[in-house]
Amino acid sequence: MKRSLRFGAVIATAAVASMTLASCGFGNAGGGSDGDTTIDLLVPSYSDGTQALWEKVIDGFEDENPGITVNLEVQSWDNLNDVVTTKVQGGKAPDIMNGGPFAGFAADGLLYPAEDVVSPDTLADFQKSFADNASVDGVQYGLPLIASARTLFVNNALLEQAGVTTPPTTWDELLDAATKVSDLGGGVYGYGLPLGSEEAQAESAIWFYGGGGGFGDEKEITIDTPENLAAAKFIQKMVDAGATQPDAGATDRTPLIDVFVQGKIGMIEALPPTVAQIEKDNPDLDYSLVPIPTKDGEPFTLGVADHMMAFDNGKDKQEAITAFMDYLFSTDVYVDWVTTEKFLPTTVSGGEALADDEALAPFLEALPNAAFYPSTNPNWSATDGAFKSLVGQLAQGKDAKAVLAEIQAKSDEG
Amino acid sequence: MTASLTGRTSREGATADRRPRRGEGTSLRDLVIALPWIAPALLLILGVVIFPAGVMFYNSTRDISQSGVDRGPAGFENFQSLLDFAPIWGVLARTLVWVVVVVVLTVLISLALAQLLDKAFPGRQLVRMAVIIPWAASVVMTTLVVYYGLDPFYGIINEVLVNVGVIETPYGWTKNAPSAFAWSIAIAVFVSLPFTTYTILAGLQTVPAEVLEAARMDGAGRTRTYFSVILPQLRSALAVAILINIINVFNSLPILKVMTGSIPGYEADTIMTLIFKYIQTDHRIDVASALSVVGFVIVLAIVAVYVRVVRPMREV
Repeated sequence: MKRSLRFGAVIATAAVASMTLASCGFGNAGGGSDGDTTIDLLVPSYSDGTQALWEKVIDGFEDENPGITVNLEVQSWDNLNDVVTTKVQGGKAPDIMNGGPFAGFAADGLLYPAEDVVSPDTLADFQKSFADNASVDGVQYGLPLIASARTLFVNNALLEQAGVTTPPTTWDELLDAATKVSDLGGGVYGYGLPLGSEEAQAESAIWFYGGGGGFGDEKEITIDTPENLAAAKFIQKMVDAGATQPDAGATDRTPLIDVFVQGKIGMIEALPPTVAQIEKDNPDLDYSLVPIPTKDGEPFTLGVADHMMAFDNGKDKQEAITAFMDYLFSTDVYVDWVTTEKFLPTTVSGGEALADDEALAPFLEALPNAAFYPSTNPNWSATDGAFKSLVGQLAQGKDAKAVLAEIQAKSDEG
Repeated sequence: MTASLTGRTSREGATADRRPRRGEGTSLRDLVIALPWIAPALLLILGVVIFPAGVMFYNSTRDISQSGVDRGPAGFENFQSLLDFAPIWGVLARTLVWVVVVVVLTVLISLALAQLLDKAFPGRQLVRMAVIIPWAASVVMTTLVVYYGLDPFYGIINEVLVNVGVIETPYGWTKNAPSAFAWSIAIAVFVSLPFTTYTILAGLQTVPAEVLEAARMDGAGRTRTYFSVILPQLRSALAVAILINIINVFNSLPILKVMTGSIPGYEADTIMTLIFKYIQTDHRIDVASALSVVGFVIVLAIVAVYVRVVRPMREV
């Protein structure tokens, strides 16, 4: 008896201890009552103002649509996927979600096609490239909410000090300029290369697409290709030449952009919100925005769109969801949302309304040459994860071919 | 249910009162009588331990899509994909190093610290309070402080090391697997010290003064007294401290997650951080559950072996 009790205690202790990670799901569903409809809205946080921004939208929407209540849940980007996966697994999917990749949900038959949850007018207002990017096999599932494009941020003062007169347009010029800036010393580095897990897939895409390669399309993911290998080897050349900051393979994007804002990085690929960040944190920084240097100078930018998607949780909510989407994408509400978050609009009317915005101009100009991730490929999530955890090894001196093969294998595994 | 239980409670409670304590009915009858008192605890264990554990075991044998849809039974395929995952052996070895090094260092340092805190000296109260601080602060916070301190661009620790001439240029401590892992061990020891020290300190205070006096009268030196008289009496305190530390350290995620999270590849991962990577970057709930089951079994095995070999519950 005593022995078995003791063993029981051991099991219990071990169990308690190892349970902490295992399960944190089974969230509760917001249930409507009294003929009112309640829709659950799950969104990621883009900035400190995101929650207030959504609350403003919801207040306006609820005023116009009595009888519909919107439950807002804001999560960090880091947690968004875990949260929604757990909810889906527990049968409590949100009604509307704002997120990145949606192909996996569409493949599992969880989503409404876009045409079922917005009016035809709203649907027709999306720019074609974004609508295509949000479709699987010709059916649009995602409603592109925001777009973002990358462009090269250049610290004019550092380049001038290093004797570089014009910003680079090709890889070779970039290497040359970055090496010169790094040679200045004193903790200053030429090119900020964030291959750490945070957004490694974005920096990789800039190089792979910029070298004529890419990630593939909705049918096939192609990572291990000669073009990508050449790009990967050039990344290694940048690292070996000391043109980048040290430990590039383990440097995350956000902290590195902070360093650029502090004026210690010559050049870095960054986003529209970075303009606002510089304005706020270091308005004296002398910088300019130029097109991304590519292998042979061909114009290119990496476009990223985040989508609204509607989960099919029973017909009684479809009408409420449609009302919400139409309200959100009405020009005034939408433009206010996009400009407050400092992103680019995905609708034709939104683009027209923002045509005179100077800060956004370099990005809007780059959009026509935008290439997107193959995010409608069912294996894209796995590819994205593989880049985040593996591609940094390039900067640690691991064989480029082996790294690409490893990512390809993980991606094919799905 | 509560009502019927309480009803029975009072009746059975009364019977128990009339009966002499050490009666004939031992196991089952005693258990029934005790049930009303232990039922809340049992329910709690059922709800927060057994049920999630069951779900974890169940998930580990299912094929779950990236969006969380259960696509049916998978048998042992999830375990197979763990075996097929080349870096897994390095991860297991690193987990062992992580647990052993952290626990051994923690216990050794705590033994010394507890000895110091057991002596009467002016300001002892303040020093004892100071030892609690790492315990009171959030682990993530403590880790982040060190993490930012080690940043090559603006980290204060790097700056100090450069200024005193230990290194020439700032080093990316958290960007390279071996150094990030070593720093993580240091932090883990730091945050484990308070609990361990206090457990041992409590043990030290149960050592009777007469025994120490007797040892002194028999001519035992300081070292001899410590190893032959004090240490054996710390047995149960040490047993608790070691056991809880093993489990805690094995299951520790936040330190390694913060310190090694940005390092590519799997050169700095333990079982826990790998589970996290499976969930967060790969969205493989099924494989993550399988790995959790492996972790669970390992902890169980370690604890069982420990209990058998060390017999911590044996009376001194």
